[in-house]
Amino acid sequence: MKLYQYIIKRLILMIFVLFGVSIIIFYLCRGFPTSLPPWTAYISPNMKPAQIEAMKIAHGFDKPLPIQYFYWLRDVLKGNWGLTGIWANCMPANKVFFRHFPYTVELAVTAAILAMIIGVPLGIISALKSNKLPDHISRIISLVGYSTPAYWFGFMLQLVFFYYFYLWGLPYLPSGGATGMEGIVPKLTGMPVLDGILAGNLEYTWDAICHLILPAFSLSFISLGFLARMVRASMLEILRQDYITLARSKGLKERVVIYRHALKNALIPVVTLAGIFFAGLLGGSAITEFVFSWPGVGQQALKAISEDDSNFILIYTLVCAFIVVTANLAVDILYVFLDPRIKY
Amino acid sequence: METRNVEVKSEWQARLADLKYTLHLMRKNPLVLSGSLIALFFIALSLLANYIVDPNLAYPAGYPGKRYPFERSYMWNNPIINWGPGITIYKGPEFFYLGTDGWGRDLLKMLILSIPVDMTNAAIITITLAVFGSLIGALSGYVGGKIDELIMRITDIFFAFPGLLLAMVFASMFGRTLETLRLALLLVGWPPYTRLMRGQLLSEKEKPYVEALRALGMGHIRTLFRHIIPNAIYPILVQATMDFGGVILTFSALMFLGFSPSQALPELGNLAADGYTHIFNAPWLMIFPGLTILLMSLAFNLLGDGLRDVLDPRLRR
Amino acid sequence: MAKTNRQQPILDVRNLKANFHTYRGEVKALNGVYLKIYPREVLALVGESGCGKSVTVLTIIGLLPENAYVLSGRIIYKGKDLLNASKEEMRLSRASELATVFQDPMTYLNPVLKIDIQLKENFMLNKDLLKAAVITNKIEGKQIGYSEFLGMKGSTKNLSIKKYKVSKGEIKEMQRKLCLDVLRLVKLPDPERILQQYPFELSGGMRQRVMIAMALARLPSIFIADEITTALDVTIQAQILRLMKDLKERIDASTLIITHDLSVAAEVSDRIAVMYGGNVVEVASTMEIFKKPLHPYTTLLMRAIPSILRPVNTLKSIPGTVPEMINPPPGCRFHPRCPYATVRCKKEKPKLTEISDGHEVACHLYGG
Repeated sequence: MKLYQYIIKRLILMIFVLFGVSIIIFYLCRGFPTSLPPWTAYISPNMKPAQIEAMKIAHGFDKPLPIQYFYWLRDVLKGNWGLTGIWANCMPANKVFFRHFPYTVELAVTAAILAMIIGVPLGIISALKSNKLPDHISRIISLVGYSTPAYWFGFMLQLVFFYYFYLWGLPYLPSGGATGMEGIVPKLTGMPVLDGILAGNLEYTWDAICHLILPAFSLSFISLGFLARMVRASMLEILRQDYITLARSKGLKERVVIYRHALKNALIPVVTLAGIFFAGLLGGSAITEFVFSWPGVGQQALKAISEDDSNFILIYTLVCAFIVVTANLAVDILYVFLDPRIKY
Repeated sequence: METRNVEVKSEWQARLADLKYTLHLMRKNPLVLSGSLIALFFIALSLLANYIVDPNLAYPAGYPGKRYPFERSYMWNNPIINWGPGITIYKGPEFFYLGTDGWGRDLLKMLILSIPVDMTNAAIITITLAVFGSLIGALSGYVGGKIDELIMRITDIFFAFPGLLLAMVFASMFGRTLETLRLALLLVGWPPYTRLMRGQLLSEKEKPYVEALRALGMGHIRTLFRHIIPNAIYPILVQATMDFGGVILTFSALMFLGFSPSQALPELGNLAADGYTHIFNAPWLMIFPGLTILLMSLAFNLLGDGLRDVLDPRLRR
Repeated sequence: MAKTNRQQPILDVRNLKANFHTYRGEVKALNGVYLKIYPREVLALVGESGCGKSVTVLTIIGLLPENAYVLSGRIIYKGKDLLNASKEEMRLSRASELATVFQDPMTYLNPVLKIDIQLKENFMLNKDLLKAAVITNKIEGKQIGYSEFLGMKGSTKNLSIKKYKVSKGEIKEMQRKLCLDVLRLVKLPDPERILQQYPFELSGGMRQRVMIAMALARLPSIFIADEITTALDVTIQAQILRLMKDLKERIDASTLIITHDLSVAAEVSDRIAVMYGGNVVEVASTMEIFKKPLHPYTTLLMRAIPSILRPVNTLKSIPGTVPEMINPPPGCRFHPRCPYATVRCKKEKPKLTEISDGHEVACHLYGG
């Protein structure tokens, strides 16, 4: 099967999965009585019951659920994701979503990069000196990272780097938000650091970076443990292979054996698993965003859940699912290029 | 022709010898050893907690809504550590090792009480997930064909869900009880087991011993349950052990975000949520619950990680 | 071949003892191995699976696994004891003195690297020689192929390399030429295409030839072939053996062939050493060992080979099984299966002694 045929097959599967996700989440959100009904976004408290009823009929909230689903699907495919927010404070859901989305992307990407920079070497060292002291230390770091509650670690970081540094008179990092200097720089990408770089405003960029460090580190601390363990397991597997013995018997320097022969083989399975894991980072950043008051979609989603805002929940879930599924596909395609043995 | 008597060991003797070897390997690694000891400690604590500490202490008199007079709130009369800037010292008869929380409850006693809650939760969820997830996966892998495709697609759908979010939506819809949250986590947590078991089964199915057993006339179900699954179970064990820690984390995160059934429930995330409100005045109120969660999760993750190293059939020497 | 006992051996293994540390106990894999390899000869090390042949090889090249350790013994190579050498020294000897080809070419080639990379890194280990070759090529206008390259080995000190500057491109070009040449030497057709392929795209016989080429590229003084034909089918096996015989003339090295197949040994080797249970029990020239096997094990081995000329109804095998190495039999390790075993054999381990010209045996029957 050719590569493009495979991609098409996977795209069809992707659509199927997204349909499944949307049906389930739609049923959950709209199918059960909640404290704030889904049509709340379209009415204001001043309206009379008759007007409320009219609004309901206009938006199709009185119809049975499957029909509601089709209306919703039709709207979504046209680009109308409904309104979010309560009472009159409502805006199109997708506008709200995409206004906050770049912040989440900035956070997740930085966390992913940090996790890779720290995690991969940690795993390699762990594999090379397996069962000796560096391995034990790296193992503890990895597993502590993996076992830390996200909210707790975020607050601990804030406590130390913001509160105590302030108390002790040290230069301190900001406790929350993505940037302290709102509005100084035009919003091109929506990500403070990038906007600052593009506008050439060093002070703004530096401020944005200061705001970014703690949340990104908090998020990455949890993932880097996982990555390090994966790299270690994969490297150990590869180092036992016969062709590594041959490479050593050629008289190559150990460094060459590791980097030229072992690493490429070891990183292949790591890349595939890591890709999916990082897609999950985008969805899992909600708690970190909450802790650091980071204006990303995760925080908005939490707010939406507490307000029973079904439109926003719908769009958030679907985008998360879309990212996960796309990451799956991307990773599988990447696999083809990395491993010459894979053919379609 | 000289012949040697070959002992025929029963299957169980072979498995016992295997087990002894596994334990030996685990003992050798200091990290795994400490992890398992800590885990055992927590298990023991969870069984004994309700006898060590009176569970009624979690619900102070006049609950709900009543708080103790101010002078009993977040006192720290442990002179060793004093971490907040403006603390009122309680000059009373009781000694609180870790201070009190915002309601005047002794933090240490609350921590002890909350361990069985978390542990039983995690145990129920993990065991259910492991059993049902791997059963579905085993079926899917063994039967193959269209059923396999279908189950895999369903697994894909559930895999794509952001788990925490779904749990929260569930809780909002159906009320904030422990059962609802458990159900939510169950719904989202099964795909890894299914995939894992299915992968194992796909490779086990091709092995010669399965063909031999079928040739001897053994039925499908018996082959599956008595022979294939016991061989394929190791990754499931590893995943379940590490999931144990993960469930503790997720559950406490949910509690922290406000989905706990009652504010006074002695549960680690709940205690942390309470501590959050006093974070700058009395940071220990959040530090210690979080530390306990970390320790519990770490113990099981160490155990699972060590188990993975030890049970890898190619690494055994 | 008859001159061997008048020369000095290039590799002299003396009383090598090595164990493996396992959960169930210490595996006493090598129990005092004595082995001598002379320059420009082909020595076959023959024995059953598990008798310690591969362990001997790994000990010589210094690549024993972590749970193995050498108890005693000396491995004298060109005057130095390899067991005392540092890791860096061992690495350098592996780079230019000892080249090994292993058994299964599928698992011993790196699946994600092209043949090109895996082959040329052997040449790149010898940067000085490459540079000298380029200089000779430029200055004297000589065409440098593999044979000339081989001839230049050891003579780099004569050339004043430091005086001339050689560009990276020229070195790359030279090693590319040498790669093609060495692939032709192992009789691989279309070497240009092979360089650009991955190992899984080649057949088993081709892969094995590539492995041999990789070993030759390092210009070794000792060429070790560890069961190189075992994983191949019989026709390919014949081809590889023919290649080995052909190479015997061309390369200026001694060869150590490990095999469990006596017929393979008979095809290519000048001398045969028989191993059993971690000891070398008999060494002699090929003709001698087939005509007059002395050690009971060797005799039984010879008898077990079915003859095409005189077919029999039952195959003669050696009674009993290979000794278990955690608790090996005391004294001579063959005594439980030996038809001539005496009380002395149970207690005292026989030493490898020379009985006649070039023929050594380790057996009490012959005063060992």
